Amino acid sequence: MANKYSWPEKPALLGTSVKRLDGPDKVTGRAKYTYDINRPGMLYGKMVRSPLPHARVVSIDLSAAEKAPGVKAVLAHVAVGAQVMYQGDPVAAVAADTEERALDAARMIRVRYEALPHFANVEQAMATDAPAVFPGGNTRQGATEETGDLVAGFAKAAHIVEATYATHVITHVCLETHGCVCEWDGDKLTAWISTQAVIQSAQQFAQALGIPQANVHTIMQYMGGGFGSKFGPDSQGIICAKLAKLAKAPVKLMLDRKEEHLDTGNRPSATAHIRAGITADGMLTAFDGQSWGTGGAGATSGFPLPYIYNFPTRKRTHKDVYINAGQQRAMRAPGHPQGCFLTEILMDELADTIKMDPVAFRVKNLPPAAPNAMWAEYFARGAKAFGWDKRHATGDPTPGPIKTGMGVSAHRWGGAGQGSQAHVDIMSDGGIVVKCGTQDIGTGTRTIVGMVAAETFGLPLSAIKVEIGDSLLPFSGGSGGSTTAASAMPAIRVTSVDALEALFAKVAPALGTAPENLVAEGGRIFIKGTPAKGLSWKDACKLIGTEPISVNGKWAQGLSGSGTSGVQFAEASVDIETGIVRVTRILAIQDCGLIVDKLTAESQAYGGVIAAINFALFEDRILDRVTGQMVNPNMEMYLLAGMSDVPKIDIMLNNMPERGVIGIGEPPTVSTASAIANAVRNATGATIRSLPLHPHKVLAALEQEKAGGTN
Amino acid sequence: MKHLTSPKLTPGVHCLNIRHKGMFVTSGPDPDEFAFYDKYDSTAYWCVETSRGFGPDGAPVRPDCCSGERDCCKH
Amino acid sequence: MKAFSYVNPSSEKEAVAALKTDGIAMVIGGGQDLLARMKDYIDSPDRLVNVKGLDATMTSTPDGGMKIGSAVKIIDLFEHAQVAKLYPSVNAAAIEVGTPQIRNQGTVGGNVNQRPRCWYFRNEEFVCFKKGGSRCFAVNGENQYHAIFGNEGPSHIVHPSSLAVPFMAYGAKFRVLGPNGEREIAAADYFTMPTLQNVLKENVLDDEDILTHVILPAPGIVKSGHYEVRYKASHDWPLAFSTVVLTMSGNTISSARVVLGAVAPIPWRSKAAEAFLAGKPLNEATAAAAGEAAVSEAKPMSGNAYKVQIAKTAVKRAIMNAAGLNTV
Repeated sequence: MANKYSWPEKPALLGTSVKRLDGPDKVTGRAKYTYDINRPGMLYGKMVRSPLPHARVVSIDLSAAEKAPGVKAVLAHVAVGAQVMYQGDPVAAVAADTEERALDAARMIRVRYEALPHFANVEQAMATDAPAVFPGGNTRQGATEETGDLVAGFAKAAHIVEATYATHVITHVCLETHGCVCEWDGDKLTAWISTQAVIQSAQQFAQALGIPQANVHTIMQYMGGGFGSKFGPDSQGIICAKLAKLAKAPVKLMLDRKEEHLDTGNRPSATAHIRAGITADGMLTAFDGQSWGTGGAGATSGFPLPYIYNFPTRKRTHKDVYINAGQQRAMRAPGHPQGCFLTEILMDELADTIKMDPVAFRVKNLPPAAPNAMWAEYFARGAKAFGWDKRHATGDPTPGPIKTGMGVSAHRWGGAGQGSQAHVDIMSDGGIVVKCGTQDIGTGTRTIVGMVAAETFGLPLSAIKVEIGDSLLPFSGGSGGSTTAASAMPAIRVTSVDALEALFAKVAPALGTAPENLVAEGGRIFIKGTPAKGLSWKDACKLIGTEPISVNGKWAQGLSGSGTSGVQFAEASVDIETGIVRVTRILAIQDCGLIVDKLTAESQAYGGVIAAINFALFEDRILDRVTGQMVNPNMEMYLLAGMSDVPKIDIMLNNMPERGVIGIGEPPTVSTASAIANAVRNATGATIRSLPLHPHKVLAALEQEKAGGTN
Repeated sequence: MKHLTSPKLTPGVHCLNIRHKGMFVTSGPDPDEFAFYDKYDSTAYWCVETSRGFGPDGAPVRPDCCSGERDCCKH
Repeated sequence: MKAFSYVNPSSEKEAVAALKTDGIAMVIGGGQDLLARMKDYIDSPDRLVNVKGLDATMTSTPDGGMKIGSAVKIIDLFEHAQVAKLYPSVNAAAIEVGTPQIRNQGTVGGNVNQRPRCWYFRNEEFVCFKKGGSRCFAVNGENQYHAIFGNEGPSHIVHPSSLAVPFMAYGAKFRVLGPNGEREIAAADYFTMPTLQNVLKENVLDDEDILTHVILPAPGIVKSGHYEVRYKASHDWPLAFSTVVLTMSGNTISSARVVLGAVAPIPWRSKAAEAFLAGKPLNEATAAAAGEAAVSEAKPMSGNAYKVQIAKTAVKRAIMNAAGLNTV
């Protein structure tokens, strides 16, 4: 039911492409990221971390560091006798007057370790003779999910595919590393922190430090990426605050790239041994999967499996395997890229058993179409736009070493939000301030907050002053789960509508009408249907007087929705003499309910696709199998796409304004990697069932295919 | 406290120091989620006291063990 | 990073003199390798001797060859018309080095003398042979980017220089200046296979030696080709690459130099491929067979057999490049 808060039917701004309002600040350097915050008398913090994957701390000697030049504070983070469970586990820290002196002093902290048995990979942890490394067991078997009669399901199958599929561990690689600047004023703490959860960080600082939450003020104006890994102060934040307290001076503690790889989260690995059945006319009948994965030391590794497609009978078990590596954290659509890859490669193998087109096969086995399940339509639209009719059957028949192929894949995500609050002030000079304790983690939140207010007031975006990213602002949630837009936009809309109503009440007598007859459009407030009978925004606001219109509001039903679907097509070429894969084209079809800013929504899709190309081809956290230490904790040997590695990417957003706002941050990164892997399979005729698509795997699969098939 | 409404954790049962990302995100319900795949748990947990995935006693942080008799458990 | 002193010599003799110290002195050119090693605590010199101010010219020699100063920037090497005309494979290798920033800052001498990119060498946790330790972690570890030739040990690195490979293929000599004067060393004798005695370095330079020039002989009537295989298209180390220099008699190859990079602890000359090519017509079939010959004696490690296929392809395609044929 439409009400006064409903999104406008003919919006002036919403759904158009609007440039970020902080774009110029970012490109000129005026925007201050946490890294850029410098306080008077500020010190630099540096942590000492375990070089070993598993050890007992035998002794910690801080004395040399305490005497080092420029050092103002040194602390031990763990007690002697404690165990470190992975390379990079924090042990101690130091603060000094320059960054260089802090680095030097950190190396003077002498920690002696007693090495303990460790696991560098899941094979070691799952070995029958593996030592007991983790309290309570090295693995943890989850519950079995079972639906329908599996035996009957397989009995109906004309063909069965049985194989093992796997994805690997990658890290978040935020361009701005984790960290903060902490400054005490008596027992009050101010922390500038690179976080996806500015208000929630204050809560964690308070609880970990044992101080009232009311005494903590956290600020995050700009940040260089989090992807799920920045939901609180972490050890570096707590250590930074403690160092600042000890030193009686502000401390900046930002992690380096190596620390990022080792101790700020990762996407768990996923492996599944799967048996699946299909009828002769292409209906799925059964799915039996045993999966396992590692989220590092003591952490879970779950993921959805099978993904999306309708297996009427299915059984699935999952086991978490613990290894001595940094713990996983939520990473852009947790679990989905893994479950999507494992399922979608299987789907192409199943389709080939009956020589059925992969798109037609998928459409045949989809759940019923719905506004949150639009795959059938997207497969059709995408196939047309991408030129799917030019796709050859598995194995490019053209001569020469370069083989080209196409692949396709589907995904979904929730993206619903709630709970945000907001505050709007309208001043007598016409100025408008919109306040909300959300944060812009690089997605464009600052811009869309302004757009919703500007749309409501009939003003340009430049008329709105947006205040976000501060724990003193009205409550909003952390930016995760693609919930920010769906949580904050309704609050901004409701509060702006209420503020506008209050303004109408002041303006109506001057125009000789009732408030409900007024509209605000094009920078004017006027009587509906007669634009001449009205006032400019500025003149209207003169009627406000000295006491501003000051309105609080909160999220309301009906302005946001839940559930997005998307389909991606990929084209890749493979050099079969070198095993090198190049992605040549991606088409991403995505819905996100009501599009607020088309430009930043598309930007989310571009970013998601590029990140997933990295997942498919390049990124790989590689631990030395003997020592358990990471061999590529940098951005040289931990590979990331450069400009030349990024293909042509087309984004097709499906605007569904009737569904309200739904988040889009995560879904576009889910299905790219499996579409690429299917394109590689289509190009070469060889199936690579694990990521990344490294040349060694491509060549091995080709070799195996030559020798009789990759089955 | 808002996070105690998290479906994964129960006030009075689980330790007050256990944390996961979902406690800090005001997500709305996704009623159809399990029409598209079965249940799974991808959640990373941490202890707010140690700032890592292991509690003060060195054992992993998880809902099934961060409760009841565990010595470091806070209520 | 350890504090260090910085010496800015005004001549090559002063540079050599400045390397004499009780501590550790190191030569710094563009610094693209050394500064990273210092920041990562792989090297902690007491003194840096800047050689960016030394000879950065490229001049013709009386015999029709060229003399290239070590301080020449890689981008200037690439843009030099005479280099491109006489030594097209040097030109081809130069533009594939690193990134635009690295090519604009890095020098020819620095490229030739850079230390291995081996991830065990580059992380301080791993005290390997090359850092004075007593093992090569690649043997039982993650060796997908390590050597497939010259794997007798003790170290299994691949030589990191892109320019050294075409230099060797064109028969370059390296002019070295030390406390006892200058000497010219053939490229083949400049780079050293690891032994327990010399594993701490990759070439014959002594502590007080500097590489001042690369001297390329007149190329003669040759066709040359260069081909690099990279995992990523931008900023990545090659998985394997090759330069071939073919001395032609009509369309027949009278003699050949075939050098491979990123496959061995030194730029790796393939005598087998060279022997095969002598007397053969220059065509695709010859190129493919020479590729096979080039890897016939490869001895890959546990995780890098795929590099044999890539090295084979690199040689084949370098020859096809030389023949003016499409490589793919």
